[in-house]
Amino acid sequence: MKLNVVNVLIPIIAIVFIFALWVLFAGQSPIIQPISYNHKVHIEEAGLECIDCHKYAESMTRASIPNIDLCEDCHGDEPISKSPEEKKLIEFIEQKQNIPWKQIYSVPDHVYFSHRRHVVIGELNCSNCHGNVSELTAPAQYPFLIPSMGNCIDCHKQLKITNDCLACHF
Amino acid sequence: MSKWAMVIDLDKCTGCGDCIAACKIENNIAIVDPEEANSGRVMFWIEMVSVYEGEFPNIKIKRFPKPCFHCENPPCTKVCPVHATYKNDEGLVGQIYHRCIGCRYCMVACPYTVKVFNWYEPEWPVEFRKCFNPDVSVRTKGVVEKCSFCAHRLIKVKEEVDLEGRDIQDGDYMPACAESCPADAIYFGDLENKESKVYNLAKSSRAKREMENLGTEPKVVYLSKRE
Amino acid sequence: MEIKRREFLKLLGGASGAIALGSFGCNQFIDVPDKIIEIAKNGAGIESWKNTICALCPGGCGIKVRLIDGIPVYIKGNPIYPVNQGGMCPLGHSALELLFNPDRVKSPLKKIGLPGGGKWESLNWDEALNIISKKIIELRNEGRPHQVVFLDGSNQHGLMKDHIERFMKAYGSPNYFQFPSIKNDAVPYHLLQGNSKIPSYDFLNAKYVLSFGINYLEESYSPVYYTKLYSYLRGSTGEGRTRFVHIDSRMSLTSANADRWIPITPGTYGALALGIAFVLIKEKLIDANFIKSHTSGYEDWVDKNGIMHLGYKNNVLANYYPERVFQITGVQSETILELARELGNNHPSLVLGGDGSSNNTNGTFSQMAVHSLNALLGNFEKDGGIFYVDETPLKNLPHFELDDIAKQGIEQNPFGNSLDMAFPFADFSIQTLIQNILAEKPYPISVLFIYKGNPLFQTLNHHEFIEALKKIPLVVSFDSFINETNEYANIILPDHTFLEQWNIISNVPSVGFSHIGIQQPVIEPIYDTRSSADILIELGNKAYGNNTKPFPFEDYVSEIKYRVEGVYNSGEGAIVTEGLKGSWLEFLNQRGWHIGTYDSFDEFWNLLLERGGWWNPIRKKKGFSEIFNTPTRKFEFYSQVLKNRIDDIVKKKGIDNSTHDIEFVLGRLNIKTRGDVIFLPHHEPIPYDDGMPIYLTTFQPITNRDGHASNLPLMQEMFGFLTRHYWTSWVELNPETASAYGISDDDWVWIESVNGSIKAKAKIHPGVMPSVAAVPFGLGHTSYGRYAKDYGVNPNSIMKNLYDTINGIPATQSTKVKISKAK
Repeated sequence: MKLNVVNVLIPIIAIVFIFALWVLFAGQSPIIQPISYNHKVHIEEAGLECIDCHKYAESMTRASIPNIDLCEDCHGDEPISKSPEEKKLIEFIEQKQNIPWKQIYSVPDHVYFSHRRHVVIGELNCSNCHGNVSELTAPAQYPFLIPSMGNCIDCHKQLKITNDCLACHF
Repeated sequence: MSKWAMVIDLDKCTGCGDCIAACKIENNIAIVDPEEANSGRVMFWIEMVSVYEGEFPNIKIKRFPKPCFHCENPPCTKVCPVHATYKNDEGLVGQIYHRCIGCRYCMVACPYTVKVFNWYEPEWPVEFRKCFNPDVSVRTKGVVEKCSFCAHRLIKVKEEVDLEGRDIQDGDYMPACAESCPADAIYFGDLENKESKVYNLAKSSRAKREMENLGTEPKVVYLSKRE
Repeated sequence: MEIKRREFLKLLGGASGAIALGSFGCNQFIDVPDKIIEIAKNGAGIESWKNTICALCPGGCGIKVRLIDGIPVYIKGNPIYPVNQGGMCPLGHSALELLFNPDRVKSPLKKIGLPGGGKWESLNWDEALNIISKKIIELRNEGRPHQVVFLDGSNQHGLMKDHIERFMKAYGSPNYFQFPSIKNDAVPYHLLQGNSKIPSYDFLNAKYVLSFGINYLEESYSPVYYTKLYSYLRGSTGEGRTRFVHIDSRMSLTSANADRWIPITPGTYGALALGIAFVLIKEKLIDANFIKSHTSGYEDWVDKNGIMHLGYKNNVLANYYPERVFQITGVQSETILELARELGNNHPSLVLGGDGSSNNTNGTFSQMAVHSLNALLGNFEKDGGIFYVDETPLKNLPHFELDDIAKQGIEQNPFGNSLDMAFPFADFSIQTLIQNILAEKPYPISVLFIYKGNPLFQTLNHHEFIEALKKIPLVVSFDSFINETNEYANIILPDHTFLEQWNIISNVPSVGFSHIGIQQPVIEPIYDTRSSADILIELGNKAYGNNTKPFPFEDYVSEIKYRVEGVYNSGEGAIVTEGLKGSWLEFLNQRGWHIGTYDSFDEFWNLLLERGGWWNPIRKKKGFSEIFNTPTRKFEFYSQVLKNRIDDIVKKKGIDNSTHDIEFVLGRLNIKTRGDVIFLPHHEPIPYDDGMPIYLTTFQPITNRDGHASNLPLMQEMFGFLTRHYWTSWVELNPETASAYGISDDDWVWIESVNGSIKAKAKIHPGVMPSVAAVPFGLGHTSYGRYAKDYGVNPNSIMKNLYDTINGIPATQSTKVKISKAK
C-alpha cells in the first residue's frame, strides 16, 4: 500500500502547530504576585529610588528583590495607608514570613548577566530593560523586555558591544 | 587585544593533583559512576600525565598537568559543524555548551585529547544552582566540555577593572588551578603584555610546546630542564 | 552497563533523607538543607570571603572560603598564611563535600540492637547528655573515675589536646591518649637526644637533602608546607641548587620529584643509613669537632665499673661495610659510596626519615640510624641543619583545685602503659589499649570517649579491637560521621564539621616557625550538632563535689580567646600580613623594634580573625644543652635513655639481673640483637613469615590520608589520579615481579598473607622495587557512608599484628605475602 503523503503530513503539521502555540503562550501566562505592590506610590509619594529597594543593582550581578526585612524599615505595626495590600504585608512581617515573590526576569544558569556591568559601566537606565516601572500601580505581569538572547544581541549590536559567546556563556 | 596563555614549570610541579581538585570544584565538573570512570569516562579538565623513563633502578618520571592548550590554531574548532567551539579574539578557545550537538568531532580532532563528553544527564533541581560555583553552569547530557581557562573569572575581572577605570594587570586574572598551586608552578597571563611573567617565561630556553610540529601553536607552555 | 549505572544511582539516592537526584551533576553528591536552598534561591548573590584553617589533615593550612550569600561555594589557600602561602592540596578543596555530606550525623544517636549492627535511634541532646553524665557521676561516686578513657583520634595540633586533658584531669582520670601520637613518633629523637620534640629542617639553606622513606610531599606532617619549600628551591636556577635524593621502596611523590630515587628493600632503611655512615667515617667526611665535644658513645668507652663498651664507630665499621649493606638492602655498594660522598661533601646537608622507614617493627632503630647521620655531620642548630621552634606564647589556663576523688583517680596507673614489657617508650599504643581492655587489667574500662578519628580502620588487629570495644559498657563517640569505630559506640554525639567550628591550630610539627592559626565558623552549623569542646565544658563543670570548676568559660571560643591573650601580651611575632617576610621581621627585631603592635587585645583578636593567624619567624637560638637532654647532656650514639629503661624492666622482672632475665625481656621486646649493639643505632631484622616471597608495603596518597577522606566523592574519584584508578585500590608491581607471576597490567591479583587475602588490580611500572607489592591505604571501608563503603580494599586487614617494638606504632610495612593472578 502506498501512503498518501498529504494524509500523513496534515495531522503532523497540525500537531506541530498546536504544540508550537502551546509553547508560545503557556510560557507567557500572566504572573500574579502575592502582594499587588504599587511602584508608583513608593516612588512618587514615598520618594524612593529603584536602588533603595533593589539594593544591589549597582554592585552585584543580581539586583535583588527586597523582602520583609527591608519592608519593615518603613512598615511597622501601624499601617501607613488604607491599602489592603499593606495589610497583607504587615501580616507577612508579623509572622516573620518572607513574601513569596515570583521572579519575572530571569536568565538561564548558563548565562552570566551582571546588573553592575549594565548599570554602572554600561550606564543603562533601569527602564531600558524594565520599562517605565515608576508609572506602574500594580506589579508587571509580563517582562517588559523578554530576557532572550535575541534581545541581548540586538542591543549589543546597536551599541557595538562585544558579541563574543564567552562574554556571557560559561 | 590580550592573548591569554599558561606556563607550567615542570621543574617545580610535584604532581600533587591540587590543580585537578581546584578545577573540579570551581567548574562544577560532574563526578562519574566508578565503573564508568574506570572505563575512561572520568571527567577532568586538567589531568596529570605520568611517563616513566629509563630502566630500573635508574628511573625518572616525567609528570605534567594537562589542561586544554587553547591553541592559536586549534584543530577542534575547524571540525565543529555548529560553531559551538571557537577561538575568540583574546585567544581563548571557547566551548558553548548550548550550541554543542554532541557529535564529538572536536574530541577526535584534538591531538591532546583534552575534551570530555557528558555521557549522562546531570539532572538537578534548579535551586541547586548555587552549589557549588554559581558562576559556572552545570552541563547537560550529550555535550562536550573542556578547560575554559576559567573564562568566567576573566569576565568578573574585566568588570572590576572597568569599575576602577584601569587596565588588567598581570596577576589579576588567574584560573583556579594557577591560583591554588602549592608549588607555584602554574603561571598565567597575557602574551601580548611584555611585562607579564608568561611573556618572559614563554621565551625561556626551558620552554617547550607539546606536539609543536602539528602547527597548533598551543598556548600552554611547559618549562623543563629535561629533554 | 545501564543496569549497573542504575544500581549506582539507587546507592546515591540512599534512604537517609538525602536528596535522591539520580544525576551525575555536581549536586548529586551533596545534601543541602532546605534553609540553605531558600537562601540560594532568593539571595542577591553577595560574595564574601572568610579565613579559617583546614582540618582535613594535620598540616594546618590557612584557607579562604568563598561565600555567596553566606553559603560556602569554593575554598582556596590563604595567601598570607605562612604555612601554605596560598597553596592547597586536593583534599582541602573537597571540604565542601564534608559540610554538605548526606551521611553526616544530624542528631545524637543511640545504638539499638547489637553493637556493629548498624541500627540507631535518634535522641535529643538532653537525653544523650543525661545518659553520659549519669554514668560518669556514678563512676565518680563509686571512686572509679580512672575507668574513663579518652581516645583522641583527631590528629590535629591545637588547643583541643589541652582542653580534653584538663577535662580528664578534673574528672579524675589519667587516661587521655592521642592516636596517632606525636610523642610516639618522637621516640627515636628522645632516645638519642633525650628530647621528645619533632625537629624542623632548614631546607632553604641546605645544599643536599637525603630522605629515608619520609614522603614529605604527600604524607608527613604538613605536605603543602614542604611543597612550598621544595618548589621555592626548584625555582632557583643557579648552580648551587639544592639536590634532593630520596630512598624508598616505591616511587612516591617525593621520590618522583627528587633528583635521584634510590629503591630499597622494605624495612632495611637503618642498614643503608649505617652503610652510609661507614663510608663517611672511613673517608673522614664527618664533623670531628662536633662529635668530640657534643656526642657520647661514638668511640668505644669504659663505664664507671671499668667495663668496656662498644662505640658507634666500631660497630658501624665492623658490621655495615657496603657489600654487606648491599646484601641487606639491595642498594648497590657503588651507590652507597656515591650517596655518602655527596652527603659528606655538599655542606650543609640534611638527613631525615619517617613514614616508610619508621612504620616497621624496627622503625625506632632505623630512625635512630638515620638521625645518627645528622650527628656525624654536626647538623644541629646551624644554617641548613636541624633546629627547634619555640613554643607559642599562649596563656596557660587558670589553676584549679582537684577534689579528693580526682586526686585519687589521676594517681592510678595509666591505662596506656603496657602490663607486659612491650613498647617501653610508648605512652600509648593501640595494641596495649586493646590488650588491657580484653584482660581488664590493671582495671576494667567503664567508659570510652572517642573524639574523631577512626582507629579501628587505621590499625591492625581489627578482630580483637572489635571485641575490646564490645566489652566496654559505654562507648561515646564525638564525630560527624558513623565510621568503622563508631559502629561500636553506644552513643554518637554529632560534632560540627571544621567549617562550622572554633579552634586554634598551633605549631604543626616540623614547620619551621612558631605559629597559630585560627579556625572560625564560616557558616552557622547547618544541623543540630554541637561542639565537642563545649560539651566537655558542660560535663566538666558538673557539680562533682569540688567547687572549683575547671572551665571558667562560657564556651570554647572564650577559652581560646583567653589563651590567645598570652600571644598578644607577649608582644612577640605578628599577625600574618601581606608581604611580611621573616627576614624583614628579623631586621626590625635586631634593631629592637616591633612590627606587631596593637592598640588593644580586641584589635589584635579582630585582626587575627580577619587575617587567619599569627606567626613568629624569629627563633631563640638554642644551646646544645637545651636540645640534648640526655644523661650526658650530649647527643648519645649509645642511648643511655634506652639502656636505663631496659635495665629497669629487667630489674622489675628479674631477681638478680641474670642473663636469663635479660634474654627474657629482649625476647618479649622482639629484639634479636644482643650486647651493646642494642643501644646503638643498628639494623634489627624484621620477623617475616617463611614461604612468603613478596613484601607488602602501603602508602598514603595525598587525596586520602589515613582513609578519612573516603566519604568525599571527589577524593574517591581522585584516589588514583596518577595511575588512573578511580574509586578503587590497586597494587603496584615491578615488571620483573609481574612477569615472574605472569601478571599483566589491569589483571586482578590476589595478595595473600597468613591473615587473609585481598584482591586488587595490577599496576605494573618500574617505579617500585622488585618483590614488593605496594598497595595504597585509604579504601576498603565497611562503614563510613555511601561513598566510602565497599570501594577498594584495606591492606591493613591482612597485615600481621606487629608493632614497632620500642614505640608501639603499628608496623604497616612488615608483612610478607604471596601474590597470584586471580582467575
